[in-house]
Amino acid sequence: MQRNRWQFHLVIRALAYRRGRTFLLIAVLSMAASLATALGIVSLTMEKRVAEEIRKYGANLIIMPEKARISIGSGGLNFGEFSEATYLNQVKTEDAIIRSGIQLEHSLHLSGTLRRGAADILVEGVNFEVIRRLFPWWHIQGSWPNGAEAVIGSRLAARLGIKVGEELELLGVAGVVRPRVAGIVNTGGEEDDLLYLALPELQQVSGRSGQLTLVRLLVTAGGERLKTAMDRLGPLLSGAVVKEVRQVARTSEGLLAKVKLLMMLATVVVLISAGSSVAGTMSASILERGKEIGLMKAMGGGRLNILLLFCGEALLLGVTGGITGYLIGNVIALFIMQTVFAAPPGFISWLVWASMGVSLFLALAGSAGPLVSVFRLDPVRSLRGE
Amino acid sequence: MMDVLIETRGLTRNYGEICALKPLDLRVNNGEWLSIMGHSGSGKSTLLNLLGGLDRPSDGFIRVGGEDLRVLSEDGMARYRREFVGIIFQQHHLIPYLTAVENIMMAQYFHSVPDEAEARTALERVGLGHRLKNRPGELSGGEQQRVCIARAIINSPRLLLGDEPTGNLDHGSTRVVMELLSELRAEEQFTIIMVTHNHEVAAWGDRTIYLDDGVMVREELKGD
Repeated sequence: MQRNRWQFHLVIRALAYRRGRTFLLIAVLSMAASLATALGIVSLTMEKRVAEEIRKYGANLIIMPEKARISIGSGGLNFGEFSEATYLNQVKTEDAIIRSGIQLEHSLHLSGTLRRGAADILVEGVNFEVIRRLFPWWHIQGSWPNGAEAVIGSRLAARLGIKVGEELELLGVAGVVRPRVAGIVNTGGEEDDLLYLALPELQQVSGRSGQLTLVRLLVTAGGERLKTAMDRLGPLLSGAVVKEVRQVARTSEGLLAKVKLLMMLATVVVLISAGSSVAGTMSASILERGKEIGLMKAMGGGRLNILLLFCGEALLLGVTGGITGYLIGNVIALFIMQTVFAAPPGFISWLVWASMGVSLFLALAGSAGPLVSVFRLDPVRSLRGE
Repeated sequence: MMDVLIETRGLTRNYGEICALKPLDLRVNNGEWLSIMGHSGSGKSTLLNLLGGLDRPSDGFIRVGGEDLRVLSEDGMARYRREFVGIIFQQHHLIPYLTAVENIMMAQYFHSVPDEAEARTALERVGLGHRLKNRPGELSGGEQQRVCIARAIINSPRLLLGDEPTGNLDHGSTRVVMELLSELRAEEQFTIIMVTHNHEVAAWGDRTIYLDDGVMVREELKGD
């Protein structure tokens, strides 16, 4: 029989003989590995989940034009200064966003007024497809617009008595548009007082082709990236400023980091606890087998040969505990994710290696102390059972 | 003149303040069967452990088969034990989770390569061909001792040490074991050193030495 096969045979026989202790060790290793796996899955899935939640808060950065400030005065007199509305160049702004290399989504906006009969209406030009994706809290009564259709805010619609399906005639400095109202939006915010048109249409009718008043950006990565995005975009945009608008996003990211830290500390505590348990059980097992080790030495077993047998046992326990722990960890993660987030956990296959790493580390580290004693064992005394 | 296998001069073993073996001069010839007798604590097992390379002397000279045991490293002592010595224990010390044949293969594993066919033959030689797959717990005391003998001789040692190998056996089993050892010695030509309390067992040897309080007090040749 080949030596390797024989060693494996011995390891299996030794573990099978002490079934109770073997199951106990596998249970402890599985518990540690399963918790590490479960917390790993929850932590990684939670990051995605929180990023999705952050999306719901909408844009977290905006790009807006710097106001041109004009001083009013003459000679030694100064009557103060006033701001004149300026616009962003659409092409340059979009180019700057692309050049920044930041992964984000953006929504282009142009604000203006159009005349309907004798009244001026505040109008905003947007891309409805982007709005629908970036602002999921928009509730539309009717339908989302197609082509040249419009969406009207609920308060404005009530004030002007406009209903879904009605055609409006709106007069701008450069022409007239006649959009049909496809839906009424109700957000409870400033959107309820505006009329929304497709961006190109408003640009054309108001004579502001290629111009914007605002760009909303949604950066979904962590807080550090948010600051990086601001730092990167700023220098690329002349005549514009980048501002953070959603503190809640940053707060969520801070909370996520704290929860992850908490989970990591919990994992460390579990691993230390499991490590102590493994060390205790392995010590007991090796002390119990003192005579066996003494006999092996008396038969001429070298330290390396004996060490290989005990390491083999620790390795097999570690691998078994790691695989079992990975499977159990997935079940625990499923329970946590469904209970806390009402969402399924992600399947992260590479965590099986992490689980095995944890289990192997604990098995070997827990055996290290007792194995050192194997080297020092006096065969005469151990055969006497001392 | 027969060649000397074992030679000790002033061999001493102290355990703290206790002197378990006082300076001992001893020569054992190749192929000789030496019995060691004495009361408990007389130093018999201490001497056997020193000869088997399981323990190191506190002082004195000990050479076995040309090997100076005082200067051997840990690994050197392990090599000496696996290549030169076979040990039969009073308590058998078989590994409980291995079958009879696997217990023999364990000794082969430490010596060279486990060979099941050879291990089976060894068990058949000691009359246990029908007990190959039994574990120690399923064997009688006499059968376990025969497995222990088969394990001790499997690597063809030059020196076979017995530490009261019949101490736990009844009269019938003792006789079977002693006859077996005698036959094997005739075939293999190894040297036997056997510690015993039993005069009948000691009488199987060519020579018997008596230890008392760590000192060799008497020596008898067979037929004296």
